[in-house]
Amino acid sequence: MRKNQNEIQNVLGRYEAGQMDRRSFVQSLGLLGVSTFVANAVVQSPLGATKALAAIGGPEERAWALAKEAAAKATKKTLTVLIPTGSIGNMTPYTKRWKEELGIELKFIEEPDEVVHTKGMQEAVAKTGTYDVMMPTAMSYPDWIESGVIHDLTDWVKEYDPELFNPEWGVVFPASHHAQLYNGRVAGLLCDGDQITVLCRDDYLKNPDKMKAFADKYGYALGVPKTWKEYHNLAQFMHDPSNKFFGSLEYRSRYYVKWMFMQRLISKGRLYFDQEVNPTFNSDEGIAALEDMLALNPYLHPDAFSFTWSSNYNAFGRGEGFMNIVWPSGFKYSKAPTTGPATTGKIVATVMPADTLKDGSLLYAGMFCWGYGYAVSKYSANPELAYAYAQWMTSPTISMDAIPYLGGYSDPYRANHMLAPTQRMMETYSPEYLRTLYDNMVNTVPDFCLPGGFEYQDALDKEVHACMTGDKKPKQALDDAARTFDRITRKIGKDKVRKSWLALAKNLADPIKKASGADRWS
Amino acid sequence: MPSRRLSPLLGLLLILALVVTLFPVFWIVMTALKPPTDWNAVPAVWIPAKPTLVNFRTLFDPEAIREYGVGGVSQSASAAVFGSLLASTVSTALSILIGLLAAIGLSRYSSGSTATPLIILSGRMFPPAAIAVPFVIIFSAAHIIDTYSGLIAIYVAATVPFSTWMLKSFVDDLPREIEEAAMVDGQSRLMAHLTVTMPLIRGGLFATTLFIFILNWSDFMFALVLSYGRIATIPVQLAKYVTATAGTLYGVQAALAVLAMIPLVLAGFAIQSHLARGMTFGAIKR
Repeated sequence: MRKNQNEIQNVLGRYEAGQMDRRSFVQSLGLLGVSTFVANAVVQSPLGATKALAAIGGPEERAWALAKEAAAKATKKTLTVLIPTGSIGNMTPYTKRWKEELGIELKFIEEPDEVVHTKGMQEAVAKTGTYDVMMPTAMSYPDWIESGVIHDLTDWVKEYDPELFNPEWGVVFPASHHAQLYNGRVAGLLCDGDQITVLCRDDYLKNPDKMKAFADKYGYALGVPKTWKEYHNLAQFMHDPSNKFFGSLEYRSRYYVKWMFMQRLISKGRLYFDQEVNPTFNSDEGIAALEDMLALNPYLHPDAFSFTWSSNYNAFGRGEGFMNIVWPSGFKYSKAPTTGPATTGKIVATVMPADTLKDGSLLYAGMFCWGYGYAVSKYSANPELAYAYAQWMTSPTISMDAIPYLGGYSDPYRANHMLAPTQRMMETYSPEYLRTLYDNMVNTVPDFCLPGGFEYQDALDKEVHACMTGDKKPKQALDDAARTFDRITRKIGKDKVRKSWLALAKNLADPIKKASGADRWS
Repeated sequence: MPSRRLSPLLGLLLILALVVTLFPVFWIVMTALKPPTDWNAVPAVWIPAKPTLVNFRTLFDPEAIREYGVGGVSQSASAAVFGSLLASTVSTALSILIGLLAAIGLSRYSSGSTATPLIILSGRMFPPAAIAVPFVIIFSAAHIIDTYSGLIAIYVAATVPFSTWMLKSFVDDLPREIEEAAMVDGQSRLMAHLTVTMPLIRGGLFATTLFIFILNWSDFMFALVLSYGRIATIPVQLAKYVTATAGTLYGVQAALAVLAMIPLVLAGFAIQSHLARGMTFGAIKR
C-alpha cells in the first residue's frame, strides 16, 4: 500500500480547492506512485477527487500490491492466460508493464471461442498446469467449479476486495451476480459486458417522408421500438428488398437463434424453468415468442439464417438493413467508418423492447448473453498471482482503460464504465449508447449459467432453429426441447441444477422476478 | 480398338466437373489476394482490382494487416507451418514403415490369425471425437500431451490401419514367385522384399504415402485437443484468425489455406506418374 498517504491527501485537497490544474494534478499523483489510469479516472470522476481515489483506485492498487508480493515469490516467471481468439487487444497494452515492473511475462494462448469451455474441461482431466488464468464465459463457471478445474475466488475477493458489488463502480447488478457467482460463491471476475440491444438507422427515423408515412399507417410517431409490437411494425415498414434494404438483421442461424427466442420469452415474463427446474418455455408464452419470430421472418435479411456475428455486423455496416440486435461490439462496428461505412454517424440504440403482460403492464427485460470473465486455474503454479492479474485487469480503473482498445471483446460492465466514462470510452461508444447499455443491463436475465449450461443452450437452439426453418411447429419444437432439458437435468442431478437455478433466480431484477413469479419462490 | 475421342456430352460434363472441382481453389486463391475491404463485399469481388500480398505477410507478421485498420491479430503462422510439416512428415514415414512391414507380414506370412487384418482396421471404426478425450488422459499421464511426439504417436496410430490395408492389397497383387526367385538367387527374405517387393509396388507405395500425408496434414480434431500452446498445426491455426474488430479474417485464412495446399500439390505432381498406377493397382484381381 502507499506509504505517502499524507502527500497524496495534500495533492487531492489542493486539486479540490482549485489550486491545481488537471495536468499538474495527474503529474503530481504520478510522482507519488498513483498510476496514470487511476489519476485520469479520478480527474474525470463525478465523485470528487478524494472520494474517487479512495474508491476506484482501491481494487487496482490492492491487486497490484498482491501481484508484487506474488511475483517476488514466484519461481515460474510466466503467467499464461487462455483467451478466446480475437480478444487479445484488450490485454496486450499491459504486458510491458507486467514484465518491467513485476518481471512477469504474460503469455496468451488463443483458442477459438467455442473451444475455450472444452479446453477448460479437458484441463480438469489433463491437469497440465499450462494455464494460470482462463477466460471463459459465465456459462462455464458451474461446470468448471464442479469439475475442480478453477478456484473458488471468494476468499481472495473478501481479502483484496475488487469492489464487484459497489453500486457506483462495481459490476452492474444483476450481471454482477449472474456472470460472476456460482451458488453464491465468486467463480470468476467479469471482463466483458455482453448484452444485446437494438440498433436502428437514425437517418431513416428522421426522414420526414418516412415519418409521415409511418404515422399515417400505424397511427403513432416513428421512433425506436419501445415494444416488440413496434419492433415488428418498424421491420415491416422499413423492409425494402427491391433496394436490398431489409427490416431487421436479427439472427435465425444456429447457435445465435436461441438468444432471439430467450429474449422474447423473458420479455413475456417467462423464465426457462420453474422453481422445481421443470422447463417452462413450452408454454403459451414460449409458443407466442416463436410465433412472433416466425411472423418477423419475411422482413429479415436473406442471410439471417446463416449469419455469424461478424457477417451480421458487416451486413449492417454495409447498410443492408434498418434494425439489428447486437452485442456492444456491434455498435462499435457500425460506428467505425472502416467497418460501418454506411452506418457511421447514423445509428441510434435502444434497450430491448418490452412486451405487454397479462395485466397490461410493460415488462422491460434484457439478455446478458455470453460475457467473458477471468477464472483462476486450480493447476496454476502461481494462483495468487493469477488472481491478482484478474483483479487488476477488471479493476474499475484498468478496465476503463482497457475496454476502448481495438482488437478485444471487452465491453462496458462496471457502473463507472457507463455512468462516469472517460473521454476514450465515450469516443469508443457514445454517451447515449453507454447510458442505453446501463439501462438495459439492470434488467438482464442470464444465459444458462448452470451445470450443463452449454447442453441446455444447444438443445434449445437446435429446436428453435428447427422451428424457424419450418421443420417443426412451435409447440412440437418446444416440447422436444423440454424433453431434452429433462434428460439433461436427470443426468446432472435435479438437486444440483435446482440449487444453482434458484441462486440465479434470487438475483433477478425485481420487475422480472415479479412478472415470472420467482419472487414467491422459496 | 475403342475411339479415344470424347463425345461432346462427355466433354461438357468433364468441363463442368473441372469447374466445380476447381472453383473452391480459385475462390481461395482470389480471397487470399483481396484486401480486407473486398473480403465481404457485396456484390462479391471475384477478382480483386488491387491484389495484395498483405494476407500472406500477415501470416508471418501479424501487424502487417494494421495498414488496413485491422488490429488484434497476434499469432504468426510460422510455428503452425513448422508443426504441420514436422508432425505430418514424421508420422507419415512411420505409418508407411509400420504399415509396409505389417502388410508384408499379413500377405506373405499370414501373421497372426485370419482376424488380424480386421483387428488392425477396427482402430479406424471409432470416430476421432470419441477417442480424443481418452487420449488426453493417457497422454497427460505419459507427459506427452502438447508435444510433437504425442501428436506424431496419435497420427501414426490413426493411420497405420489405412497404410496396412492399402499396402497389403498391393502386396497381395504381386506374384510371390518373383520374391521366391530372388530368394532362390540367394537373397534373404528382408532383402528380397527390399529389392523386389518394394520397387514393384512403388506406385501403390507413393499413392498410400500421399493419402496418409493428406490425412495427417488436414487433421483438426487431434491437433486441437492435444495442443495447449506449445505445439501448433495449420488446421488449428486456421480457426484462430478471428478478431473482435474485423470478425473472421477470411483473407488471412485463405492465404494460409493456399500455403497449406502447396505441399500437397507439389507432392501430387512429383509422384504423378506413380499415382495413376497406384490408384489402379490391384483393380484386377488375379
